[in-house]
Amino acid sequence: MKRAVTCLRHLSLLSQVARPQFTRANQLTDGLPITLYATALRTMAKEDVKTTAPAKDPELSEKDQANETKAAKNKNDKKDKPEDELSEEDLQLKSELEMLVERLKEDNTDLHRPALDSLCTLIRTSTSSMTSVPKPLKFLRPHYHALEEVHESWPESDNKHFLADILSVLAMTYSDEGKNESLKYRLIGTNEEAGLWGHEYVRHLSTEIGQVYAQRIEQEQSTDDLLKLALEIVPFFLKHNAEADAVDLLLELEAIDQLPQFIDKDTYARVCLYMVSCVPLLVPPDDSAFLRTAHTIYRKLDKFPEALTLAIKLGDREMIDDDFESCTDPLLKKQLAFLLARQQIYIEVEDAGLADCLNNTHLSEHFISLARELDVLEPKTPEDIYKSHLENIRTGYSSGSVDSARQNLASTFVNAFVNGGFGKDKLMTTEDDSNSNASWIYKNKDHGMLSATASLGLIHLWDVENGLTAVDKYLYSNEDNIKAGALLAIGMLNSGVRGDGDYAYALLKDSVDEGNDTCRIASIFGIGLANAGSAREDLAEHLLPIVSDTSLSMDLSAIAALALGLIFVGSYENDVPSTIIQTMMEREDSQLNDPWSRYLSLGLALLYLGKQDAADATVETVKTIEHPIGKQTEVLLEVLAYAGTGNVLKVQTMLHHCNDHLNKEKDDDLHQAYAVLGVALIAMGDDIGTEMSLRTFNHLMHYGEPVIRRAVPLALGLMCTSNPLLPVLDTLSKYSHDNDSDVAISAIFAMGLVGAGTNNARLAQMLRQLASYYHKEPNSLFLVRIAQGLLHMGKGTMTINPYHTDRQLMSPAAVAGLLTSIIAFTDAKTFILGKNHWLLYSIATAMYPRFLITLDENLEPVAATVRVGQAVDVVGQAGRPKTITGFQTHSTPVLLAHSERAELATEKYISLAHVLEGFVILKRNPDYMEEDE
Amino acid sequence: MLSIIELCINKNYMPLCQNPPKYCCFKSVTGKMLAWRIQVTLWERACSIQRRATFYSEIKMVKVSVKWSGKKFDDLDLDTSESPELFKNQIYSLTGVPPERQKIMIKGGIMKDDTDLSKLNVKEGHTFMMMGTAGELPKAPPKPVVFLEDMSDKQLAQALDIPAGLENLGNTCYMNATLQSLRVMPELHTALDRYQGGITGMDARGNLTASLRDLYKQLSSTTEGFPPLIFWQMLRQAFPQFSQSGAGGMPMQQDAEECWGELISVLKSKLPADSASNQTFVEQYMTGRLTSELKCIEAPEEQPVIDTETFSKLDCHISISTNFMQNGIQDSLKQDIEKHSATLDRTAQYQKISKVSRLPQYLVVHFIRFFWKPSERVRAKILRKVKFPLDWDATELCTPELQNKYSKIKEKLREVDDKKLEQERERKKRKTQEDDLAEEKTDNTATASTSMDVDTSSQKVDWNEFIDQGLKNDVGANVTGQYELCSVLTHVGRSADSGHYISWVKKGGSEWLKYDDDKVSIVKEEDIQKLDGGGDWPMAYIVLYRAKKLD
Repeated sequence: MKRAVTCLRHLSLLSQVARPQFTRANQLTDGLPITLYATALRTMAKEDVKTTAPAKDPELSEKDQANETKAAKNKNDKKDKPEDELSEEDLQLKSELEMLVERLKEDNTDLHRPALDSLCTLIRTSTSSMTSVPKPLKFLRPHYHALEEVHESWPESDNKHFLADILSVLAMTYSDEGKNESLKYRLIGTNEEAGLWGHEYVRHLSTEIGQVYAQRIEQEQSTDDLLKLALEIVPFFLKHNAEADAVDLLLELEAIDQLPQFIDKDTYARVCLYMVSCVPLLVPPDDSAFLRTAHTIYRKLDKFPEALTLAIKLGDREMIDDDFESCTDPLLKKQLAFLLARQQIYIEVEDAGLADCLNNTHLSEHFISLARELDVLEPKTPEDIYKSHLENIRTGYSSGSVDSARQNLASTFVNAFVNGGFGKDKLMTTEDDSNSNASWIYKNKDHGMLSATASLGLIHLWDVENGLTAVDKYLYSNEDNIKAGALLAIGMLNSGVRGDGDYAYALLKDSVDEGNDTCRIASIFGIGLANAGSAREDLAEHLLPIVSDTSLSMDLSAIAALALGLIFVGSYENDVPSTIIQTMMEREDSQLNDPWSRYLSLGLALLYLGKQDAADATVETVKTIEHPIGKQTEVLLEVLAYAGTGNVLKVQTMLHHCNDHLNKEKDDDLHQAYAVLGVALIAMGDDIGTEMSLRTFNHLMHYGEPVIRRAVPLALGLMCTSNPLLPVLDTLSKYSHDNDSDVAISAIFAMGLVGAGTNNARLAQMLRQLASYYHKEPNSLFLVRIAQGLLHMGKGTMTINPYHTDRQLMSPAAVAGLLTSIIAFTDAKTFILGKNHWLLYSIATAMYPRFLITLDENLEPVAATVRVGQAVDVVGQAGRPKTITGFQTHSTPVLLAHSERAELATEKYISLAHVLEGFVILKRNPDYMEEDE
Repeated sequence: MLSIIELCINKNYMPLCQNPPKYCCFKSVTGKMLAWRIQVTLWERACSIQRRATFYSEIKMVKVSVKWSGKKFDDLDLDTSESPELFKNQIYSLTGVPPERQKIMIKGGIMKDDTDLSKLNVKEGHTFMMMGTAGELPKAPPKPVVFLEDMSDKQLAQALDIPAGLENLGNTCYMNATLQSLRVMPELHTALDRYQGGITGMDARGNLTASLRDLYKQLSSTTEGFPPLIFWQMLRQAFPQFSQSGAGGMPMQQDAEECWGELISVLKSKLPADSASNQTFVEQYMTGRLTSELKCIEAPEEQPVIDTETFSKLDCHISISTNFMQNGIQDSLKQDIEKHSATLDRTAQYQKISKVSRLPQYLVVHFIRFFWKPSERVRAKILRKVKFPLDWDATELCTPELQNKYSKIKEKLREVDDKKLEQERERKKRKTQEDDLAEEKTDNTATASTSMDVDTSSQKVDWNEFIDQGLKNDVGANVTGQYELCSVLTHVGRSADSGHYISWVKKGGSEWLKYDDDKVSIVKEEDIQKLDGGGDWPMAYIVLYRAKKLD
């Protein structure tokens, strides 16, 4: 431990390449920055190699150290060891070795060869345990320098090389730190396989290679010989279950691309797992090099799903296309299509069946069949969710005798979230006469009608056919709000699915340019939701003029920018960024002061989601904008560009922004809120980073300005979406009673995010208590209701966590949707509590069933037994460790909670997907035989 | 129908295409389209009448499908050389979606009336997606919904049906609780409304009555807590004992029962008498009669003295063995008195047994929880748990004559109750059967439920024939002997001079209102039953029963 701490001081994660050793790091988690630990431990482990034996054998080590110091002082003093209590056997060995050394010193060259041979045999055949240095090495220690001299004196010959080999081995225990003599002698040795000298030797050698390599790079010397040696060593490592060492070695030699040639079907899984897990700890460009190498390995072994996952992770469109096209197995290709569909990557294909998979066409169908299986098809009313009979205080507000527009609006949202995707509910789609449907809409006031009508879109989420019909009748309404709501609903229900035409755009494109602003905004936002992540150029052509037209009202332009941000999330190679920046520059300051301007920033920033340094140029450009929006956009750009990377430097930058105590009167401080969100967004998806930022948030909450305090709960919510960790719940519950009502409102909403789709009973209880606590404050109560709706989203069958496929991939559309609603809370009074609560519907892009559905060869659902349990990190563990713990056996379809993993519990099928999540195609196992009863 | 076709043909409208059996389209020379559903036979006749009608037979037809509302319509003919209107009419006949509402998705947009179908490059077997609504469009409700947020305080008070509370003016919870408890009697309100006097005069008791009237009026038009300042002023004027103040000038806590009693006495004297019976509200509705019999225990042969007296409340005496309100009341109606006996000519033990000979509409029961403890010089409190019923049959307290009068109606009531219970049981049984049936056959439920409706509606009891006529004529008397609890005044604390008074008033159904000064909330019936004492929780002090209404 002590050593770890000292190491910590010297290490800076930023300057040094991190070499993780996950398994050990995981054991030491006491709240300290674990990333650093991993590095420290790894270094420590390497040092331990040299000192393992002495450390474990105190008596021996003391002697050895004494010897060592003496030897250092007086190098010629060769024989000074008190030989007490050596067994007879040892004595014999010792004398034999000494005799051999003497013989080498002699000039009789004929005897050299046999002497070397016997030395070699003695060293190689000696057995050693973990706790002691092999005897021959120990006894040869005093003669090391003598042998060195002998080596010097010999002329160039085979024997000289041979002796160099032996010296190289001896140097392992003798050589002073930093001299790297093992390597030195190895390089002038016989080039015999290093593995013959044992595993310990190879490991030692690889350490020295790393050190020497670094030195030589510094001095700009050639490193070819080192690389050659490393490439000899790597296969040995791979063969002997030391994949981590192999990878580390090549990483240090910057030759990770050489790895694939050594990998075969036995080693690939562990190697790739290790490599992929390293990625968050690497600095660019090593991280993408790792991913690419792992990808090559997967491709080499025809592991298409794994390869495709990495390609998606890299965000390399060509690679994705190539992986997809190269797959020849039609069934496997469908599985790949499901994976792409989850990430909303669209590839044009001819085959209708395949297109269905790519378009998510059957998502609604399968979701409803899941609901049927789980017996949650019956619609729920908001009251079923509130359970207000369990609330302590009952007031007239909930007695239902009078309609409160605010509470009805809350019920609208709750109803939409809870019955989302089921196509049936008890407020909007009742099957009685058509007039009663409308009545709920009319129980909402003005802009509430918009959200009420739009809620149809959420209820019919993914079900394009029935959804469109259900929405259609409201398109003829004279009431603008209802019409706008219907337009938004059209967009929303197409979110995440694609029909064989582009229905949403076809229906909405006319109303983008016509009608009043409400309808225009709704249809633009609808288009954005429907096509999130599609990067369709024709949409840009249509929407860009709205962004750039400075005569239009700010909200219209901002929402168009946001829609473009959603559509082109993570793809900036087009006209969109420049147009948005131009608008920012051209607009009057007074216009930019409009709260809506934040969506201009967000729209721009979304384009660079996850693009890291590609955003640098744009960041520089927006810095030139004098209006505070420049600063806001700058922060937002940086945040989004590094979203999910766990980049510590960027986290620091964000914290720096939070340091300033600005005068709210004079300076704009919105960018501080973004910086707080940024900490969460950057650390998101990485367990260690998450834990660190939780602590950071605690400080921010104590010492931050109001604007920061308001953003902290939101950041917590963003970081732990659909993942109700107890400590986070407790923290948020505390904040939800904060004196600053804006903090409380943020916290309540964050509670909804954290519990979204989980039905977490503890959180439900907390929210009920909050409902009675806030029963006289309509705004807070409104948010409590919404949080309750989120908590029971899809009756507990959904998730809004952007991470999927074993938390490896981040869905950009989901992040974009989440951010849209979260940023609305940076000015809750204008947006959520004002007239623009419909922004909450942006969560639709993040909504996805948290199911596992197994399909047979014909893509029909088939029941298979699976084990579901908590995911275990098995990186670097020996053997075939269990990947889940505390599992239960279920029959598909099943729901998977956050951080849960499933594995097949039957031999009957073989899964085509590498991760059992979402849609999984099962193939019959040809070798399977029914067990005889 | 035929005439329409004739009309068309005469007007040079040409039949275009025929797709029996349902409809046909006409095209006018000006290019205008018309479509009607007609029967095949009719169509043939139309054609035979007028040979000029020619069919387009050599049109380019493509077979397509249309998906709408989760349904798929196959084998539609799409004439690519024609205007889309024709196709839309065709869809109209199948789906009932009027052409102007049809939104048919094509590549890059929606099929409009000027879309050139031939350029769409529609393939055989293509499936169109259509959006549209058949039938009526949703309409706005005839009466716009009024929202809470738009209402004034007064409207809100009426709409929410949560009455206002009274602010505490400094230990005035005894008064607030009393006022709220009394407010439950609607007859009191009408009586007060008839009171003409103002607050100006010197008559302190009259002023008090007037201020009570005003207070109740003001209370019913607000939702916020209301400060009963004037009433308090008047109360202290009329009864100076309430203006005592303790250390620091703070008004002292008072006994709610005292306040209650004084108020009733004022109302008794001040409220105008009913014209018919010449009795005041208090006399009519709140006053009962006791018939007592004073017997000498030591001289059984002595003639018992029969006496009648009125009462405005029954006391519930709490002894070591009192567990139920009824027992406590019976205890207090039985008194042992030492008195000079005329026959024995000495002081002798007498027993006075009282029975109720008139039950008023509103019956007040006072739990005697406070008693003077001379040793400690405080009015101590009895915390004993004494259960009180929510529904109370008070006939046991009555004289045999009165019990007789009640017997008929009581029997009938029991009969009705039994019947109801049985029906309920029957219904439950049937429901479970129905559920079983429903699983097999869903459409059975409709018939079953209608038959049930018939059962319940056939019951209508004419109570008049069971009610004793004498009682019926006595306005303000309880005609059934049955009571239901309508308000509870509770005290929490250890002595009469401290603690807190709260009033609990029945709202309706199983809901009650809790008046804790200006904090008014809704509670459940179960919470009321917890007010029976036994700990440091509010416990019933004065309870008000009202005669059960006959439905």
